[in-house]
Amino acid sequence: MSEESGVALESATEDDIDDQPMLKPEEPSLPPGEWVQKNLFSSVFNSVLTILTIVVMAFAVRGLLNYIFSEERVWSAPATNARLILTFAYPESQYARVWVTVGLLAVLAGTSIGLWAQWAGVSAKKLCFWSMNLGSGILLAIVLTQPGVHRDAAGEVLRDADSAVLRKSFATAMSDRLVWWIVGLAFIGAGLLAWNWLGEMRRRTIRVPSSALIFGSLGLIILSLWIVNYGHYAFSDGEFIAISGRTVASTTKQPWTVMWLILVGSFFLGRRISQSQRAVSVKGLMNLAWLLSPFIIYWVILRDPSIDYSHVWTTDLPIFLAFAIGGGAILWLLSYPGIGEAGRLAGVGLVVVAIFQFAAAFTGWYPMLQKARISFVVLALVGLAASNFSGERSQRVRFVGVWVVLMALLHYFATVMNSPATVDVVSENFTGGLTVTLFVTALTLMISFPLGVVLALGRTSSLPIFRIMSTAYIESIRGVPLITILFFFSNILPLFLPDGMDIAEFAAIILGYSLFSAAYLAENVRGGLQAIRRGQYEAADALGLTSPQRTSFIVLPQALRISIPPLVGQVIGTFKETSLIAIIGGFDLLRIGNQVIPAQTQFLGIKRENLLIVAAMYWLITFAISKYSMRLERRLGVGER
Amino acid sequence: MSFSDAHSPISDDLASRRDMIVCDNVNKWYGDFQALKDVSATIKEQEVVVVLGPSGSGKSTWIRCINRLEVHQKGMIAVDGVELSNDLRNIEKIRSEVGMVFQQFNLFPHLTVIDNITLAPRWVRKLPKSDADARARALLDRVGIPEQADKYPGQLSGGQQQRVAIARALAMEPNVMLFDEPTSALDPEMIKEVLDVMKGLAESGMTMMVVTHEMGFAREVADRIIFMEEGEIVEVGTPEHFFTDPTEDRTKLFLSQIL
Amino acid sequence: MTNPTTLADRAHEKPPFYRDATIVKWIIQVAVLALVLFSLFFLASEAGDNLRASNVPTDFNFLDVDPGIKVSEGIDTDPDTGGRALWVGMVNTIRMSIAGIAAATVLGVIIGLARLSSNWTVNKVGSIYIETIRNVPLLVQIYIWAAVLASLSSVNLDQGPIHGWVHLSNKGLSLPRVFISDGFYQWLVVMIFGALVARWVHKRQTAIHDATGHDTYPIGSGGGVLVVFAAIGWFVHPVFGFVGGWLDQVAELIDGTPEFGLQLVLSALFVGAAVLWIRSFLNQRRTPAGPAQLSDDDWFRMIFAGIGAGIGVFVVLIMWPGLSSWMINSSRDLFEVLGAKFGDGRDGAPFDAMRPNVVKPGNFANYGPNGLNLTIGFAAVFFGVVLYTAAFIGEIVRGGILAIPKGQTEAAAAVGLRRSTQLRMVILPQAIRIILPPVGNQYLNLAKNTSLAIAVGYSDLVQVGQTIGNQTGKPLPVFAIWMLFYLAVSLTISVVVNFFNVRLKIVER
Repeated sequence: MSEESGVALESATEDDIDDQPMLKPEEPSLPPGEWVQKNLFSSVFNSVLTILTIVVMAFAVRGLLNYIFSEERVWSAPATNARLILTFAYPESQYARVWVTVGLLAVLAGTSIGLWAQWAGVSAKKLCFWSMNLGSGILLAIVLTQPGVHRDAAGEVLRDADSAVLRKSFATAMSDRLVWWIVGLAFIGAGLLAWNWLGEMRRRTIRVPSSALIFGSLGLIILSLWIVNYGHYAFSDGEFIAISGRTVASTTKQPWTVMWLILVGSFFLGRRISQSQRAVSVKGLMNLAWLLSPFIIYWVILRDPSIDYSHVWTTDLPIFLAFAIGGGAILWLLSYPGIGEAGRLAGVGLVVVAIFQFAAAFTGWYPMLQKARISFVVLALVGLAASNFSGERSQRVRFVGVWVVLMALLHYFATVMNSPATVDVVSENFTGGLTVTLFVTALTLMISFPLGVVLALGRTSSLPIFRIMSTAYIESIRGVPLITILFFFSNILPLFLPDGMDIAEFAAIILGYSLFSAAYLAENVRGGLQAIRRGQYEAADALGLTSPQRTSFIVLPQALRISIPPLVGQVIGTFKETSLIAIIGGFDLLRIGNQVIPAQTQFLGIKRENLLIVAAMYWLITFAISKYSMRLERRLGVGER
Repeated sequence: MSFSDAHSPISDDLASRRDMIVCDNVNKWYGDFQALKDVSATIKEQEVVVVLGPSGSGKSTWIRCINRLEVHQKGMIAVDGVELSNDLRNIEKIRSEVGMVFQQFNLFPHLTVIDNITLAPRWVRKLPKSDADARARALLDRVGIPEQADKYPGQLSGGQQQRVAIARALAMEPNVMLFDEPTSALDPEMIKEVLDVMKGLAESGMTMMVVTHEMGFAREVADRIIFMEEGEIVEVGTPEHFFTDPTEDRTKLFLSQIL
Repeated sequence: MTNPTTLADRAHEKPPFYRDATIVKWIIQVAVLALVLFSLFFLASEAGDNLRASNVPTDFNFLDVDPGIKVSEGIDTDPDTGGRALWVGMVNTIRMSIAGIAAATVLGVIIGLARLSSNWTVNKVGSIYIETIRNVPLLVQIYIWAAVLASLSSVNLDQGPIHGWVHLSNKGLSLPRVFISDGFYQWLVVMIFGALVARWVHKRQTAIHDATGHDTYPIGSGGGVLVVFAAIGWFVHPVFGFVGGWLDQVAELIDGTPEFGLQLVLSALFVGAAVLWIRSFLNQRRTPAGPAQLSDDDWFRMIFAGIGAGIGVFVVLIMWPGLSSWMINSSRDLFEVLGAKFGDGRDGAPFDAMRPNVVKPGNFANYGPNGLNLTIGFAAVFFGVVLYTAAFIGEIVRGGILAIPKGQTEAAAAVGLRRSTQLRMVILPQAIRIILPPVGNQYLNLAKNTSLAIAVGYSDLVQVGQTIGNQTGKPLPVFAIWMLFYLAVSLTISVVVNFFNVRLKIVER
């Protein structure tokens, strides 16, 4: 099966250009006979090659199918443990929170697709092809898979005297698969019928919107939950032991249906907004929401912090107000257009005080809340840059407004993160499975992106010390394997911290991933920076822009746009690299598949099935992102330049 | 060198005006190669000076030194009484007072035409967005392309791009405009539209220093012509003097080759 | 209204330092550098305090102490010092990397060519391979390989695809083993002579060919000379036993070097390098008009070169005087070890070979020490990194060949070259220049990815280091060794790739 779907998807990529609004002049498609002649049997060598490959592939596919459908496979292991693979030990009683998370993501995803996606759709011709491909794939699988086994009344496999498995005859096997014959033929028939009924012209001009295809197929999958009862799942609380019980399908069909409705609903909402006047501001809001979503999901929704309100009133809120009002006032002064050098010197003064604060934190001169020190550093950095982004009144109001919002977010999340969780998890790890994989990926990218940009700017800087420092960092990180860095951060980092300062292992791991990823990201951004012509710098200089202004208004917007394709590659790389959590002690989906499930009494030693499912999950997500990146690359026209 | 003192052939009217650009024995080297040799000249307020010379004669280097895109290594350059030194305040002041137009336009491709023009007024001059927009539209009107405001530079023709570049420089309300071969990268049919804009600018009394190969423009618009070769000033004079009766042999040779 | 004379007077007025472009630039840089250095210093001293407090000294003593661990495979499974154990791990990493790079290159090129094939089936198989492998994390693939291999049948005394030659089981793969034996180093000396003679013959034959146009087979004759020397050396190598005496003498000579003398030489080298660099820098900047055009940046650069040399001298003379004695001792040991490889009792063959054996010490059979045993761990990591890297190499090869303009193929066809000759003589030489740098990057990735061996228990450097680090409670020195080793590997690979890249460029011209 997987082979065939691979072919179908692959052929989809070849002429994805179809998706662009413009109709490309299509090569007249050859009649099947000529096509086979040209592509498969053009010479003696080619014919031999073709036949050889087909034979080898047929054996490989048969082997794979036999493996998947063998009576020895225990697919119930990953199916039963679906919840473990996705959310690890998150308590079932709190599962409403997981659904809220999925709902939030559905709203974000649906709205974003509606706002941004410019899909022209898939031509009817291609849909016909897909249908026929899928049908032929099913038929091929039916023929190639070996006949099933005879079982006794108790479901045990029957064996002969030499304990070899007894298989049904080929004819019985084929008639057993009657349903699948019908399904396969139906797909082929539907494709052929549509093909002939539409005719050459309409085949190419009629387009089904991609959104309809995606949401439709998701809907079909969810619909199937109502019809087929997939998977058993249940846990005795506190133990990772699977007990067969209710099915996955029966317990999740209602929530999934609701999620689907939310997704589609917010898609139409997004479409609606994209045509209105407010599209630009809503897009900005959506970006902010995506940026905040990991924090909200993890610390607010999933952990459900119990906030100590007396502490909030006496400490947290006053500190926030002090920074919002006091800092806002300082920034209001510093962004006064005529402030000149005095502003710069004041900024430097702020930085010195901020550094002093941190030195005090390390040496313990005087106590102060960590978040106050961090807020001060942020204030100093913003203050240092203030003169570059100052302007007349409305500009300054906006500047200070952004500052207040920033402080509100910083202090809110600091409070939330410091509050204990009310959700009681039986494992020492709060999350695991796919959740932790996605969460580590998101946080790593968020931290490493600014760091990588700074490193790239340093490496291309004309200031030699910055260049040397950035290059040394980038090259030494790139020279060593990720796993050694993760070991460093999970084992050694705590040794480096002063007394009284502590870092959760989870945070240490994310820090390790971020510092590693930043070095690679910097190289990608550097490529973009080097592609910007000297004239852009000169024009900015000639206009009198300062170098922070030049960097943020002229250089980075262009460089980052050029770097988008390698940056998406970086996202994929980071996502795949999170599998290393399995080695350093976290419970990500790989560790669960490789160690946790095989340790359950029902599924003792069952590894390969889980690993294949895990691999398929990784494959699906990675493949989707990489396909999206190819589209993006084509739309930006990066390849053609 | 007979014209190292470049002040002599200036008419009385000019002599009484303010000095906008003063260059005094400016020298510049690239490694072993000396690009500018003791270049001295004074450009008065509202004067239009055209710098001519064969390629590689140091014209562009000189004009780029004047707003410190290149750093001269010896000598003195002052613009409107402010010396171009390592002093950050002076560099800032001079750059925001001197407009520059490049051979390759160097518009910012990721910004619309109007954003290209308003960027510096908003962030360097700290003008409110509405004022900056109004000024930009007025300037686009002046260079003759008011309808292109919301397009991206990539959607414009070369001549239109160069006119946007001029508008972008003018938006900073400079005292001096520098033009570094503004028409060299243009197709012949677009040169005129750019030269017309420059002519209008000169008539409005802008101090201009123009490096160009357009002899017609030089003859018609220039108050003075400076001829450079191998990094030094060879001859300075009014257009009539320069085109009809040049003193130096090297000038004659150059004119015989191009005219 | 300003007049030029007053301006000229003001020309050399210095602006205040906080407005001087050059000074501000350097203040910013030095301030950030100081901040970074201070933070690092602070963290390091903090770590020192913490380690002292918890009574774990950060030193490298464990290198000389019995680590109390066994290494599951490698050149020495029961190392007697920690250093030896790490060395075994390094050899395992290098072995895996070299084998992996060779196999991944072959497979990658095949995949790349398949992706370019006009044959539809071959093309599709190539792209399915790439899309499948590339989108699944390497670690998942390694785990899958390990799980699949672990499900093979157990070792049997009389089993194996070819009994006595090739064995395959859930203990791994066992193959006949060829290893270097007593006379190898003496034989190597013979081969050095052989190489010199072969080179001379090759040159001479080439010269004759160029002069006369006759076919003189320079490569064939050179190779023939080498073969002849190898064969003769097999029997006569004991003649070179005396080389051992020479090496011992060199060792003695090194031992006699005064420590202080070496320190002086090293210091002189540092200072000399700095002086030379500054001189060449000044030469580069010199102009007919003298030093007036040295920018402040240039001055700072030269000052930093001087400071660098100063730091070097400081390290050698004061901070770490043991460095020179360590250099003397280790190079002496090196020559002593080499010397011991020659001389009496070393008149056996340079190479030897053994067939695998299966032993059954207790209830369970296992492979004996005779054969070349590839454990499940090795095989899992090997298959994992090779298949994974090959997918990327395949894409690079395809991209490199597609990057050659179509005109090249057409031109080659126009002068009448056959399809295969076109590819070999025109397309590949150009494509390889595009292909080589990113492929070198993939080699680096492969070498680093072998560190995932820890997941399946193959004893590479990271696995051994992790075990030792946990055993001795000294993860920090182990981490330093990891860093240095992998940086050295990365550097080696980039040097090799660069060497070929430069050579290809010259050849092409």
